Amino acid sequence: MSAIAAKPAANAGAFQPIPSVIALVIAIILVVVAYFLGSAGILAGGAMYVLQTICLIILGAALIAFGVHFVPVGGAPAAMGQAPGIATGVAMLATGAGLAGLFGGAWAAASFVGNLPLALGSVAIGGALMMAITCLMVNISYVYGMGIPAASGKVLKDPITGDLQAAYKSQGTEGHGLPFISYVGGVIGGLFGGLGGTLIYVELLNFYNVGLPALGFVGAADINMLAIGLAGIFAIGMFLVIAVLSAYNITGTIEGPHDPKFKRFPRAIIAAILASAVCGLVAMLVVALF
Amino acid sequence: MSVKVEASHDGIPHNKVMIIGAVISLVSLYIAIIGSILGVDYLAFFGGIAFIGALIWGNSTIKKLCSYGIGTGVPSAGMLAFGSGVIALLFASTLGGINIFIVPVAALVIGLIVGLFLGWIANSVLNMKIPVMTRSLSELAAIGALALMGLGTVATGHVGFTDLASAEILGVTVYNASYIGAGLIAVSFMIGAIALQHPFNACLGPGEKQDRTNMLAVECGFLSMIAMAVISFAFVSLIAAWISLIVAIVGWLVSYVKFVALSKRDAAAWLDAKPFSDQEQ
Repeated sequence: MSAIAAKPAANAGAFQPIPSVIALVIAIILVVVAYFLGSAGILAGGAMYVLQTICLIILGAALIAFGVHFVPVGGAPAAMGQAPGIATGVAMLATGAGLAGLFGGAWAAASFVGNLPLALGSVAIGGALMMAITCLMVNISYVYGMGIPAASGKVLKDPITGDLQAAYKSQGTEGHGLPFISYVGGVIGGLFGGLGGTLIYVELLNFYNVGLPALGFVGAADINMLAIGLAGIFAIGMFLVIAVLSAYNITGTIEGPHDPKFKRFPRAIIAAILASAVCGLVAMLVVALF
Repeated sequence: MSVKVEASHDGIPHNKVMIIGAVISLVSLYIAIIGSILGVDYLAFFGGIAFIGALIWGNSTIKKLCSYGIGTGVPSAGMLAFGSGVIALLFASTLGGINIFIVPVAALVIGLIVGLFLGWIANSVLNMKIPVMTRSLSELAAIGALALMGLGTVATGHVGFTDLASAEILGVTVYNASYIGAGLIAVSFMIGAIALQHPFNACLGPGEKQDRTNMLAVECGFLSMIAMAVISFAFVSLIAAWISLIVAIVGWLVSYVKFVALSKRDAAAWLDAKPFSDQEQ
């Protein structure tokens, strides 16, 4: 089958029950494997600690996948003012929000040791702030630079403000600029993305702080630096994997939470659960005692 | 999903490129490993050759995958490759505690397994229905792992986890100044991911030619290697770092000149425009 002959999937938005159940079963099997590796002493910290770590990693991944669907992604059409959203791809936007959250998370995790809710809260605000600034600057360049009003093409009225959209939409376009609902969606997306990425980071950081001394790495302050490096690069890697899989789910562009494509998010969460179970288990095995 | 990107159908078939790239990558990594076992680190520049081998393979895979129009742009494929590759790489490098020679093959195999899961998720759970999806994501994870291992070898001269995670400063072993502890792996992550996705992203279109895209991949590889060679001054001996840097700069110059020549060959017409004309002065 050549690339030219391939047809786009007719039911691209449909939920896939059988593969979804298989994916969840494989994810549960991997979590159980992690539990037994912990109880066998191959992973340091005890069975319940290993179980808690991998479950929170999966929760973080699910939050990322959910958050990506809120972000108004416009892609190339948005750059030409022919579709609403921020004019770049899902992977870049999610990376921006997630890494801004992660940098905040690295600071918060070190500053509020033992106070996970406070650390996660400050990180979520960081990710949301990054997206809020991005959305504001995007709208300034749209309105004052390109001279176009913000109008959605998917809904007649803005679900929050009730403003009419169709009157401001140019002919031949799917809307343009960032309407209020898309702006709110971007901020919520940054909130969830930063939260999920940092949850993965903090869990892996604590896990490596326990696991690395068992491997024979000694020196408390030094070990912390090594654990930060390892947890950071794994968190970035897993964040990108989840964000790109969610982008595949959206297939390109989305306007925000009011877009019909938003209803596809359960698929992305199931995909994120399996992907993070696989990646999280392999990441934890880095400090396994063979 | 509906956007089609024309890919060149002429030239070397994908399977052949894959085998060539994988063999170049693995052989170069083994040469570098033999060097590290013998205690001579001036073979570290073979890591850069391994990186370029992985890029050529990855370039062909991305071309195959993105010719279906995945809707998210070519850069997302590079990010996914390195995101899953770094996980496979670090797990494989810990297996160096058992035997250092299994690390490159382990990275390849673990990358293929992790990528297989991701490809199956994308194709079945997310309903992408792209025939090459599972295979491509599987290959991309292995490519990401091999490419990162190549960059790490250029920087440190080693592939094992202990060597990547610790550095000797004045005879004292420290972890916070190491390749992983200092976060240099994040630098290689980004320059590697961009070098992987850039060639096809820049050359795609109706006039895309395989040799020109591959030459751009080689050029991007040497350009990334320059950065890693500069980083390697902190980890390997002075002479080894200079060898890496000179190989990278010479390789980049040669491949850049060749790429410009190939671009002129494929262009309909070109004008050697000057930024300022003499009349205006």
